[in-house]
Order: sequence, then C-alpha cells, then structure tokens
Amino acid sequence: MFARPLIFAAGLVLAMPAWAEFPERNIENIYPWAPGATMAASQVIADAMGKELGVNVSVVSTPGAAGTKAFQVALEKPADGYTIFDGYVAPLVLQPLLGQAKWTYENFTPLWSATSNSFAIVIRKDESRFKDFPSLIAYAKAHPGELRYSPGAPNGLPHMVAAKVMQTSDAVAQVVPYPEIDVAIKDLRGGVLDFMITNPGVYQTNKDDVKVVAVLSELKRASETYGGAPRVQDYGIDLGMKGLAPMGWNWWLVRKETPKEVVAKLRDAMGKALARTDVQEKLMAMGYVPLGYGPDEYAKIVGPVAADLQSGMDAIAWEKKALQSVKK
Amino acid sequence: MFELLQGVPLFFNPLALAATTLGIIAGLVIGVLPGLGPLMGIVLMLPVAFHLPPIAGMGMLIAIYIGGSAGGSVSAILLRIPGTPIAAATLFDGFPMAQKGRAQDAVGLAMTASTLGGLIGGIVLLFFSPLLAKFALRFAPPEYFGMALLGVLTIAIVSEGSALKGLLAGGLGLALAMIGTDEFTNAYRFTFGNFNLSSGPHVVAVVVGLFALSELFFQIESGGFLDRPNVQRLRVSFRAFRLIVHHKVNLVRSALIGTFFGAIPGTGGDVSAFISYAAAKKMSRPGEVFGEGAEAGIVASEAANNGCCGGAMIPTLSLGIPGDGSTAVLMGGLILLGFFPGPELFRSHPEIVGGIFIAYMVGNIIMLLLGVVLAPLFGRVLRIPKAWLIPAVLLLSVLGTYALQSSVFDLWVMLVFGAVGYLMRRAHYPLAPVIIGMILGNVLENNFRRALLLSRDGPMIFVERPISAAIIAIDILLLIMIVVSTIRASRRAERDPGPDQT
Repeated sequence: MFARPLIFAAGLVLAMPAWAEFPERNIENIYPWAPGATMAASQVIADAMGKELGVNVSVVSTPGAAGTKAFQVALEKPADGYTIFDGYVAPLVLQPLLGQAKWTYENFTPLWSATSNSFAIVIRKDESRFKDFPSLIAYAKAHPGELRYSPGAPNGLPHMVAAKVMQTSDAVAQVVPYPEIDVAIKDLRGGVLDFMITNPGVYQTNKDDVKVVAVLSELKRASETYGGAPRVQDYGIDLGMKGLAPMGWNWWLVRKETPKEVVAKLRDAMGKALARTDVQEKLMAMGYVPLGYGPDEYAKIVGPVAADLQSGMDAIAWEKKALQSVKK
Repeated sequence: MFELLQGVPLFFNPLALAATTLGIIAGLVIGVLPGLGPLMGIVLMLPVAFHLPPIAGMGMLIAIYIGGSAGGSVSAILLRIPGTPIAAATLFDGFPMAQKGRAQDAVGLAMTASTLGGLIGGIVLLFFSPLLAKFALRFAPPEYFGMALLGVLTIAIVSEGSALKGLLAGGLGLALAMIGTDEFTNAYRFTFGNFNLSSGPHVVAVVVGLFALSELFFQIESGGFLDRPNVQRLRVSFRAFRLIVHHKVNLVRSALIGTFFGAIPGTGGDVSAFISYAAAKKMSRPGEVFGEGAEAGIVASEAANNGCCGGAMIPTLSLGIPGDGSTAVLMGGLILLGFFPGPELFRSHPEIVGGIFIAYMVGNIIMLLLGVVLAPLFGRVLRIPKAWLIPAVLLLSVLGTYALQSSVFDLWVMLVFGAVGYLMRRAHYPLAPVIIGMILGNVLENNFRRALLLSRDGPMIFVERPISAAIIAIDILLLIMIVVSTIRASRRAERDPGPDQT
C-alpha cells in the first residue's frame, strides 16, 4: 500500500543519528530577498562551496520584513553549521539601527565576505526629457515633486543613497516604493516611473532598455560593473558615504554557538571557493564584485558602516519633509 | 521562429530527455506532498542542474515546474489536500468526484487538462512571446489593481449558496492579508509583537489547515475507521482523453486565461485557476453541478494553472522579468548557466530559447504519459481504511507545512485554520473565498496605494489609462451583474420558499 512505506521512510529520515563527520547532509544558505538576479550570485558561491565540502549548499529565499525574517528563521535553527546566514547589510546592520531587529553584527560568527554591489540611477533609453545625470537633476529641480522614482523597498540602502543624491543636489521627486527593485524595473520600462535605483543584476537583465546615468559609489570597480558608466562624484556630487557604506554587500555568517571545528571547515571551504578564478569571473560577469575580506577583518570592515548609514537615514527624513512642502 | 529549431539537437539527446523525465517525476512527487510546491522543487534541484549541459539542466528545472504545478491536483482530488495553493480550485470538484467512485477519471482529467493547458500555453509562448511581452509592460499598478478587483469579485461567483456568506469569507481572507509588514512604511501591522507574523500567516499553512485538517475532523467525526472503502479498482486507462473532448471550449478558454495571467508578472497560477473556474461555472451547461464533482471544474482549474506555466515563461525569457516565484528561480538558473534572459537572448542564442521551448513542450507530453501510468497507483490511496489514512494525511500535512520555513509557528497556524475551516463548513460558509481574499488582498491594496503615488491627479489614473479603464469597466459590469442576480434570487426565494438551505 501507499501510506505505510511513506510513514516508514519519513520516520527513518527523522530518526537518522548524526554519526558521520561534518558535513554529512546538505547545507542551507538562508537568503533574505525574493528570488532573482541577486540570488544567482549567492548560488554561484554556494555551488562552489558545496563542491569543496562534498555536499549541496542550497540557497533558500526567505523574503520578508526588510530582510530580517530570514535572520529570524535562521536563528531558530540549531547552531550546527548546517544553516548559513546570507548576511546582507540591510538585515545585519541597517534594520537593527532602525530598531527593527534585536541583534547586532557582533552576535554572529563570520565566514568570508561574499560580494558587493553598487547601486546606480537608471532611466529609459528612449527618454527624451533628460539624457544624463545633470539634465535629470536640472529637470527635477525645475519641476519639484513631479518625477516619479523607485528605490525598490522603502528606507533600505538604495533609498538612502538616492535620497542622499537628491538632498545634495537639492532636488525633489516622488518616491514610489516597490517590494523589490526587480519588480520596479518593469514600471520604469513601461513608462510610469521616470527613473530608478538599480543593482547590477537587474541592470544586466535589462540593459537593452535602460541607461545608467550615474553609479552611486566612489569605487572604480563599481563603474566597471555598469559598463564604465560615470560615477556620481564625476559630476561633483559628494555622497558623504565612503567604502562599503553606500553599497549592498553580504557577509556569510553562522550562529555564534557553532562548534569551532565546524566553523573552521566552513571558512576553509568558502575561502577556497572564492579564490577560484572561474567563480570570480562568473560573479563579475553578473555585476557582483567579490570582496575578498577574510573572517578576521569582519569587525574592522562592518563596524564603521553603521555610522555612515546614519547620514543616509537623515537624507530620507529630509526627502520626506521636502516632499510634504512640495505638495502644500 | 525557424532559428528556434536549432534547439532540436540540443534537446533530443539521451541526457536531456532523461533529465526532463526525472524532473517530471520529481515535480509530480513534490506537487503531491502538501506544502512543497514547484518553487521548492526547483530550488532543491538547482545545484544538480548546474552540472548538466544548459538545455538538459533547464529541461529538468522546467519539468519540475510543470510537474509540480500538476502534481498538486492529485492530493487535492484524493485527499482534499491541495498539494499547492494553485490546486485549491481543483479540489472543489475533484474531491467530490473521487468520493463518488470516479477517482481515476478525476486524476486522468486533471493530468490531461494540465498537459493540454500547458501545451496551449506553450503555443502562445512560441507565437506571441514578443507581442504579449509588450502588452505585459503596459500593465502598471492601476491595471493590477483592476485585475485584483476582478479576482475578488469572482468570490461571489465561486461561492456556493449564499453570496453573502461568500463575501464574509472573502472579507476574512482580505483581513488576513493585512497582517504583516506594510510595504510602504515597513511598519508591522497586526503582528502583536510576534515576529512570526512579520510577513503574515503563510498561505500554504492556511490552505492545508482550512481544507485538509477540516476534512480530517469531519472524517474522524463520521467514524467507521476500519471500513475498507469499496472503490473501483483502478487501471491504466486513456478514458480521460475521450472525456476531455466534451470540454474543449472550456479547456481552451481556461488555458488562455491561465496563459494571460501567467504572462502578467505577479498574478500567477492560483488566481488564474480561480478565475477560469468562475468563468466555467458561469458558462456551465444545464445539468453540470459545480462543487459536486463536475468534470468541467477540474478541467478549468488544471488547464489554467498549467497554461500559466507557459505564460509565466513569456516575460521571463523575452523581458527578463519573471512571471512568478518559480520562474524567478528558473531565470536565476539560466543566468548561472551563462545566459541572460531578455530580447538579446532571442537574437544571440536562439538555440537556447528553442531548446527551452522544446523542453517545455516535451515535458508536458511526458507528464501526460506518466500521469496516466501512475494514476492507478495514486488511486489506491482511496482503498486504505481511515485508521491508516487519517494519521498518514496528518503526518503529510504536518511535514509539508513545517518544511515551508522550518517553523513550528506555521503548524499552529495550520491547526487554528483547521478548526476555523471545520466551523465554517459546519455553518455552510465556503472556504475558497478566504484563500482568494488572502492571495489578492496584498495585490489589491499595494497596487491601489502605488497607483495613487504614481498619479499626478489622484484617482483619475484609474480611468485615464485605457487598459485600466477597460478593466475597471468590466469590474463595474460584473458587480452590477452580481447585485442584480442576487436581488433576483432573493425575490424568487421570497415568492417560492423552498426547503431551508442553511
């Protein structure tokens, strides 16, 4: 019959003791966003890491609550190394800063840093009102509050850098939040949004139809991921956010209580995976720059980011006020 | 289009064919288990796909997608557990049909309708990809709002008996959709400080509770635990092919509804299944009683949710904008294999697009053959005495729901909605509107608010855009139709008081 063997099999799986050496089953990477181009970057690393460990590392999309849901889900799993946090800056640093999560970056044990991705302002290729960054800003200034733009989810990192640019240039445009950048790009191409903030993954899949007018990072490599487009500083705009602060990045983490020998194995596998040239080339082709920071640099790199993010939060507050005064 | 034929040699080789067959089997199994939908199946098999050549890898993932979309119907028909939310509409008629001793026909019809629906979706994919993709781009928040409203209005049509009870149940669904994080401010709504509610209750936990658990409670209540149900012995049969001929109009209509909804990113199979079910019900022939085992009900739901697979591939391949969660992961797989979807892919790698298309079509045909061969095996479940079946179904429900996000909280949600479902059925409230309301609530609210933010002159945005205006006009017409027919029905009831129907 059908039910009996099934029950037996299920019982067998549940009752299997942990007799073998780590890892003796598949590992999960809990990824905080909806599936899409960015998830593929994590999948590249997961796949290479799985080869080093001899098991599958699957990337499980667990979106919700601005990325913190994934952390919450992963925190409820045992600290045995079979669950990895895909520690994006939003759930790791930003949401705790906003009082939306109880942890800090110090509550986790780092593996290696994974990738960084800068953001960029894009417009439609066939846009006739403005062609580049200066003309976009000039238009926005001449028509305060008329342009519609989306940074994807509200109050996130892309929103901060966008608000910062608008604040520095003293221009106002209506923010229209979308659950993800991947969703908003459709409405930019469809003509209801006038410009938006994108990440390299979404840009790559839409580059026939959109044009980058400014890359929101001071780093040269960031410009390379957008086909050599000009950086915002080339137009004399100072973002006031340095290094990693205005960028999306992820650092793979495990729970603090994870056994040392398990952490060592995971670190070793991830380090080797990231050192492979084919992995690096694949990531770069997708627009994601491998960071190459080791576990010992975690505190030094992640610590200062929080302070820089405060200025982004202030910019969002400024934007809100400016929009309200325009509407009056 | 002829360039796409370059994909033929890439697909017709032993490895790609084997990978696709394996994908279909894996998809069917994953679809049958409650909770584990096609999305989970694709995610689990993604690492395996990388080690295959592009078309074999994509063939396997697409096969899981279509197999998983069809597999959910089997447990819906036999056990009243919709393996996936998209199969929820299949159980309305599938389960009563199986209870009447026609399990084989029900499963056969579901598989045949899924396959043909999928193939129709595939033909649309082949011929109308660029056209539909352009059309999909013109769908912005005002249009989504209108479509979601259309979906919500179908509640009144799908509901059995009292439209008022249906609307109340739909209201419950809309209320449930409000729980979670507000998309515009990131504020938590109705979470009561409980982090597990930060994205609202999981829709699958609610579906399994409402439908499967409530059924278990009814089964326990009715006793007879050791009776061996006298069900016809099932065998491999191609009878469903003959049966489906009677529903050809319904089949094509439902598949096209499915393809259309699939092609518009963000709506998806579940909504299309409900809408085509409502359409089939509205246009039913005399003598077809929906909700009591009408063949047309199964055909409508299954043709739509598999037609949706083909539809959802359209924006994924031709725009690089995935139609739903599963196609988003499929797109991720394609990128990892080194191909960026979008118009450029059609120009630079027509053989890849062609190979994917052929894999999709052949996958559907393999699914039909496997479905027919496996139907008797599935059907044996009905011969198991309740004393075995009830614990087994409970175990499957618990495992599937827990596997969603490894959360014990989801099990509580399932249990609570099991009780809610039981009480609602006792009081003759329909369950489907709860799910429709829950799925569409967010689409409705967020697109309404987004449309108003985009608009430069308030609510006028809904009538200034031609497609939006047309959809809103259909909404209003449908609303008038529902109100008029409700008033007429109540007048008739007053004139001719029949037996009490509560």
